[in-house]
This record gives sequence, C-alpha cells and structure tokens, in this order.
Amino acid sequence: MAYPELRYPFEETPIHAEGQTTVLYQGNTIRLEETGSGEGLLIRPEDLPLVNGFELKPEGACYQDMCIPLNDRFFIERDGRQWFDLKAFADLIEQPCVADEEDRVWSFGEIPAKRESMMVDAMAPDFEVTDRQGNVVRMSDFKGKKALVVTWSSW
Amino acid sequence: MPVWQRILEDINDPNFVIISAAEDTGGEAVAGPIFDAAKPTYVQVVDENHIISSAFHFVNVPSAAWVDEQGRIVRIDEGTYAKTHEIGEGDQKFQFGTDVYAPAVKDWAAKGAASEYVQPPAAVTDNIRELSADQQRADAAFRLGNLFRYHGRKEKAERYWDMAQSLNPDSINFVRQNLTLSDEGSAGETFRKMVGDYAKQGKDYYRPLDLK
Repeated sequence: MAYPELRYPFEETPIHAEGQTTVLYQGNTIRLEETGSGEGLLIRPEDLPLVNGFELKPEGACYQDMCIPLNDRFFIERDGRQWFDLKAFADLIEQPCVADEEDRVWSFGEIPAKRESMMVDAMAPDFEVTDRQGNVVRMSDFKGKKALVVTWSSW
Repeated sequence: MPVWQRILEDINDPNFVIISAAEDTGGEAVAGPIFDAAKPTYVQVVDENHIISSAFHFVNVPSAAWVDEQGRIVRIDEGTYAKTHEIGEGDQKFQFGTDVYAPAVKDWAAKGAASEYVQPPAAVTDNIRELSADQQRADAAFRLGNLFRYHGRKEKAERYWDMAQSLNPDSINFVRQNLTLSDEGSAGETFRKMVGDYAKQGKDYYRPLDLK
C-alpha cells in the first residue's frame, strides 16, 4: 500500500498554547498549564496522576499496589514553589523518554514495572485505547471473557 | 477482516471477544474502509500510535495474543493469519498466511484451558520479546514523530520516526508504517530488500507458528 498523500495531510498548527508543556504517555496527550523553569521537566505535584497514574502519598509515588519511595531530591523548590521532578522520577523507574525541549514535548515509553507481571507471569498488560465508536477500551474490561487481541494494518 | 468476523460468528459465544487493532498512522482514512467492509461486531481500534503492539512487544502485523478469563496470556506473538491468502497472477502469484490458526482459535474458545493450543505461562513468557532500553525508547520516539505529523511539522516528524527505527531496528512495524506513507509504498523495493536480508541472515519475518 502507498498513501504518500497521507504523510503530511495536516496544516501546521501549534502543539500547545504559549507557555504550556505537552506530555505523551500510553497514547494520551496531556497538556500541562504550568511547569517549572529551567532544564528537565518539573511538574506540579498534583499533575502527576494526570501524567502517568501515580499518586504522591506519604510512602512515596504509588500506582495500584506499587509504591516507589521518594526522597527530597524529587521535590524542587523553584520560583517560590515546589515542583516534582518528573524526569528524575522516570530515570528512577527506568521509564524511557524522548524529549523535544525546543517545543516542550516529552514523550514517555512504558514503565517497566508495569510490564513485570507480563514478563514474569504472562499476565496481559492493561493498555488503554479508544475504539472507532469513541469508547475507551482497556484490556481489564474483558476480565471473565476470552479475548483474542489481533493487530493488523492496511499495509 | 471478514474472516475474523466469520470466526467470531462461528464461535458465537458472548464470553469470547475479538479486539482488532489496525496499526495505522494513516488512521481512519486507511483502516476505516477495511473495517467497514467486514461489517464487524468485534471491538475495532485504529491504533495510530501502535499502543497495542507496544503493550505486547509485537514487532510485526498480523500478530495476536490470546488472553484468558483471568487476564493471563495463553498464546502470543505469532503470524496471525486467519486463512491462506493468494495474491498476484501467473509467475507473480504467491501465497501467504495459514489455515491452521483459525481452527486453533475456535478450539480454545470451545475448550478453554483444556485446549491443546493453550500454552503454559513459562512457554508464553519465553515467547514474549525482551526489549532493550533503546527498543523501549523507540516507542516514545515514534509517538513524538506522530505528534509532530499531526501538527504539520515535517522535519521533526521525520527526525523522530528515523530515531524510532534506529532505536528498534527489529520493528518491521516501524519500517513498513513509514514506507506506507511514501511513494514507494509498503511492498516496494525497500520492503523486498528487507525480506531478502531477513532470509540471508536466517532471521524469521514472523516467529514460526507452533501449530499443527
């Protein structure tokens, strides 16, 4: 198949509003209104669940039954506010990342710990996608059924 | 796609579902008509960012995972053709696919864990590809390229798509996806050379199907 006309069918548009930062994770595009100045990716602590599902608790950054202990180096005081150092957190949990700092876009790959149960116990990963009817589809929606997950392409 | 719909209808079990994901950055424009022609009742996803391939560590299409009622994978990562296909004419005619996969799916749907085609967890985990740190980064680069494409930013889209291919050279998905959006197309000279190189190097284009 050849669809050269679909390589760039879109007009040039801003990726986000002035001053925003975009984070890509698991197919989601998250626009952050505020981030800390300087290098790296400093986010508001309350934005962490939006970005990757983790929540900050006294015992650390927690996702479902997993908690990652954190020390003070993840909390940065800058411009009179406290920020969470998301890049340092990604490095800690070995989450891959590719950043285009010029356009302030950060694209994160999967968190290895979230895949551990697949690699060790063959448990299916809980992806989240949107179907053609606009419904959010998660692997976990099909618990109690047999599911054949098939990928294909037009090519 | 119509074949999968027929298989679903043959199985006719509300506790058996098919989640069909088109790994197509071209989006609804290319995948939608193919889905529609099948008149499917299964779950249809146009997966422009290859989220599902990434989740299961697939590197080629068609690929599949069988997931049981407890959420455990019981088969994974095989060239998942629902039937044998034949294309071309005369000397150019060739076949691909297999007729053994669909009966195995039906057997599993009927017998569950007692199906001879269900694999134990150790066999399944052996069949899940281990990804290096670079290969995991490739997914992030690919999606960054896609975002720039959506915003008409050609130079950066190309840069990050190239990065994705160099970080994960095993991904046939990335190579052919890229070719699809070119004049050459996904089955042109570059593709034929890649398949030839695979053969010369003794690499499998698909993991061999472990089915009788």
